[in-house]
Amino acid sequence: MEFAPICVYLVISLLLSLILIDVSFLFASSSSLAYPEKLSAYECGFDPLDDARSRFDIRFYLVSILFIIFDLEVTFLFPWAVSLNKIGLFGFWSMIVFLLILTIGFIYEWKKGALDWE
Amino acid sequence: MILFSVFSSIALVSSVMVIRAKNPVHSVLFFILVFFNTSGLLVLLGLDFFAMIFLVVYVGAIAVLFLFVVMMLNIKIAEIHENVLRYLPVGGIIGLIFLLEIFFIIDNDYIPILPTKLSTTYLTYTVYAEKIQSWTNLETLGNLLYTTYFILFLVSSLILLVAMIGAIVLTMHKTTQVKRQDVFRQNVIDFKTLSIAQKITQSDPK
Repeated sequence: MEFAPICVYLVISLLLSLILIDVSFLFASSSSLAYPEKLSAYECGFDPLDDARSRFDIRFYLVSILFIIFDLEVTFLFPWAVSLNKIGLFGFWSMIVFLLILTIGFIYEWKKGALDWE
Repeated sequence: MILFSVFSSIALVSSVMVIRAKNPVHSVLFFILVFFNTSGLLVLLGLDFFAMIFLVVYVGAIAVLFLFVVMMLNIKIAEIHENVLRYLPVGGIIGLIFLLEIFFIIDNDYIPILPTKLSTTYLTYTVYAEKIQSWTNLETLGNLLYTTYFILFLVSSLILLVAMIGAIVLTMHKTTQVKRQDVFRQNVIDFKTLSIAQKITQSDPK
């Protein structure tokens, strides 16, 4: 079957991740886990152990949404690239128009500073 | 057939766990597992490109959005104190209706318990056209999407544009008092001819 390399890849990645987790359990020295400096606040003021669930900037969400959109754009490019020799000039130019429309959005995003991090 | 059973059973179990998990982050992780198994099912159906799209779009992007929403909601552990049986009548009726509809749709051959219309279910047919010339999913999509259905293709780009602009408009709030670094302005200042007060005001425009 042609998906055998993917299965091998999955098995290897599973094994590797399990090994990495287990090695850190094996070799972590348990005596030095709880000395008081390790639990005190960092120099920058963050607590070392805290709840991961805290509010954060909406901008991360915006970056994620913009990532999805360009992700889909690249996804549309794959079949186009494969069958470019069959669809002729018309298919070529329809993709160019598609890219131009999305480039308008990209220019808007750039000018608006949606990806700037102040 | 074994692979199908493995993928579908893991998908079903983890989709139950999406609902039943107490920690919302765990339910998002089970959601990702559902998508992985569903893409395995798509590969078994021969839809390799769609399996890839499933992974890229749903796991890579939509699941991240779900994680963001879960993190923003600020729920520590979902409270499942209330009685589950309260919702059982309504949910059960909806589930039964859905199951009946599925039974109507599915061809009777697929379910061995049901009485089959044909007695010769073991007969299989071969698509000979496929043997002569077989196109992959990618080629089929590419041949049709950019020429025959180019209007739908361009409409999809417009939808993506609307989504992009909408997301930016909804979430951008420019605060004016934030100091920004203007690199070009800093670089063009000629420091030899300026006094100290001018240097400070020129290098910091606000």
